[in-house]
Amino acid sequence: MESSSILDSLGVEIIGVMAPVSICMFLVVLLTYSLSVTSDTQIRTAANLIYIENPSDSATVKLEGSLENAIVFVVLVAAVTFILVLLFYYNFTNFLKHYMRFSAFFVLGTMGGAIFLSIIQHFSVPVDSITCFILLFNFTILGTLSVFSGGMPILLRQCYMVVMGIVVAAWFTKLPEWTTWFILVALALYDLVAVLAPGGPLKLLVELASTRDEELPAMVYEARPTVSSYQGRNRGSSLRALVGGGGGVSDSGSVELQAVRNHDANQHGRENPHNLDYNAVAVRDIDNVDGNANGNRDSVDRSPLVGNPREGHFASSISSEHSTAVGIRESRETVADEEMSPLVELMGWGDIEEEPRGFEESDNVENLKRGIKLGLGDFIFYSVLVGRAAMYDLMTVYACYLAIISGLGCTLILLSVYNRALPALPISIMLGVVFYFLTRLLMEPFVVGMTTNLMMF
Amino acid sequence: MAAGIGYALVALGPSLSLFISVVSKKPFLILTLLSSTLVWLVSLIILSGLWRPFLPLKANVWWPYALLVISSVCFQEGLRFLFWKVYKSLEDVLDSFADRISRPRLFLTDKMQIALAGGLGHGVAHAVFFCLSLLTPAFGPATFYVDRCSKVPFFLVSAIIALAFVTIHTFSMVIAFEGYAIGNKVDQVIVPVIHLAAGMLTLVNFASEGCVIGVPLLYVLASLTLVHCGKMVWQRLIESRNQSSPSL
Repeated sequence: MESSSILDSLGVEIIGVMAPVSICMFLVVLLTYSLSVTSDTQIRTAANLIYIENPSDSATVKLEGSLENAIVFVVLVAAVTFILVLLFYYNFTNFLKHYMRFSAFFVLGTMGGAIFLSIIQHFSVPVDSITCFILLFNFTILGTLSVFSGGMPILLRQCYMVVMGIVVAAWFTKLPEWTTWFILVALALYDLVAVLAPGGPLKLLVELASTRDEELPAMVYEARPTVSSYQGRNRGSSLRALVGGGGGVSDSGSVELQAVRNHDANQHGRENPHNLDYNAVAVRDIDNVDGNANGNRDSVDRSPLVGNPREGHFASSISSEHSTAVGIRESRETVADEEMSPLVELMGWGDIEEEPRGFEESDNVENLKRGIKLGLGDFIFYSVLVGRAAMYDLMTVYACYLAIISGLGCTLILLSVYNRALPALPISIMLGVVFYFLTRLLMEPFVVGMTTNLMMF
Repeated sequence: MAAGIGYALVALGPSLSLFISVVSKKPFLILTLLSSTLVWLVSLIILSGLWRPFLPLKANVWWPYALLVISSVCFQEGLRFLFWKVYKSLEDVLDSFADRISRPRLFLTDKMQIALAGGLGHGVAHAVFFCLSLLTPAFGPATFYVDRCSKVPFFLVSAIIALAFVTIHTFSMVIAFEGYAIGNKVDQVIVPVIHLAAGMLTLVNFASEGCVIGVPLLYVLASLTLVHCGKMVWQRLIESRNQSSPSL
């Protein structure tokens, strides 16, 4: 069938975000499962500065201590984020980028190295230290280069983002139990405030980046299509159109041919194709969304310029990202200072400004800013939750995984409704925590009781 | 290690291949699968919440278990109807959306695929929570037998039973959706009946060495579901081809 059904195309964007998150969580669970025996050592990070949990402590002591830990951690995170915003505000962008590279180097080199070492020990992989060092060094350098440089294939960058998420999350799963839960909840709340409240640091950061039309100086996973296939292109808009329901979804390409001033509310810039060859196709395909698009379809096709409306202003860009830069020095006094800017970014749906066109030659640069973006921090803390669940039972892992993924799905749907930066942590983490405890307290005895008698339904 | 993976594949292998061959190509189906898995999980949590005060049940009387199975099946069948309602409105949204971007509406096969993905979600959730989540010990060197079924390792039995249930859940969802869609009373009724019968058949395992009888019976039921589903889908496809070919 040459006219494929809409089933083929719907939801690619969502899956594009969910797949890496799932991979990240899966690998963290594998790591915690296989390494859980060897890693009993308490770690010392910013997350447990105040109180070091002892399994023998009473519940109240644990409660207070972990609460304090969580508060201190969130305050630290907030402070670092504000510093980040300040630096960005005063245009220290290069410094920030170099700092991010440095921290990526450190995360991959030290924490990643530690994890590699424990894997090698655990599975007794026969490898000599020189080879190991060279491999690690190459791996780290490639990862460092892949952060913030345009020349890298997007797939590589995405892989390294996932790897960094795994490394940091695997590190955080070594935190004691109560502290982990409190920190997760506290971070989810902080995320909510920082992205949505007026004056929240992440909101400021995103707005700043969008008004300046710069890349966010943070570690963000971009769910751009890895291959510029025709398939994965117009999903954002289709989701948007589907959720938004109303007829006001106009294709930016066709809109821009007309007098552009008539857009009041509902015209959205679309994520647009990577290169010109695809533009005509994609535009032709999409502009049917708009009722009035038929008239100007021809002109759209004729003019390749239209294909990529350069909406420089992502005024209402939706974003949630966490940049996490962890500088770890030594295992003794390791202070994981990290800045997290939790928000998801969905660029390219901002209002279309009338912009001088003719930038299509710089397409690649432009296109770096399109697609759903999910902060590295979201990856990390989702995985921390799942990894923590993995220490109890497989059942809780599945429940938490489903809860987190559905929370992410809800966030993405909200994203296309509200069209602005949204925190990705709160819904997912809350659902995850609730499901964890429900599963552990209610479901486990039920299911175990049933199955050991070989009852099922 | 190998044994654990083997058990997991016994329970989930067919659904894995279904997932790879049908579902994973279409993102929307993946989303359907995930949401139906979530629905099933929520239903399980609610059920366990309801039954929590009465647990643990006495190990030697069977009727509380029968009650439990009946109540659970009724609840889940009710939930299936709700799921259908939600899907129905979703289908309308999708159709109007398809109209808006002037693509063809959902084909019959699309609808069936969505139903299949939904059923697969239920089945996978079942297998995951009732079989896979208990498999952790099976990755170690030892195994475990229950008294009432002393010939076969517990994990293997539960994997085999889970496979039967995966089949029943997956295809009964297709049957049920088709039954609701064309208003076929038989199909609407047969699904809860199959589900209930399957649940009741597991009660046979309660008797000493009952699993020797119960499991084959369960498989008879599963294959009945499969055959019925296949026949129905085939019929529908033929019908729709006959309908559409004159108009072409």
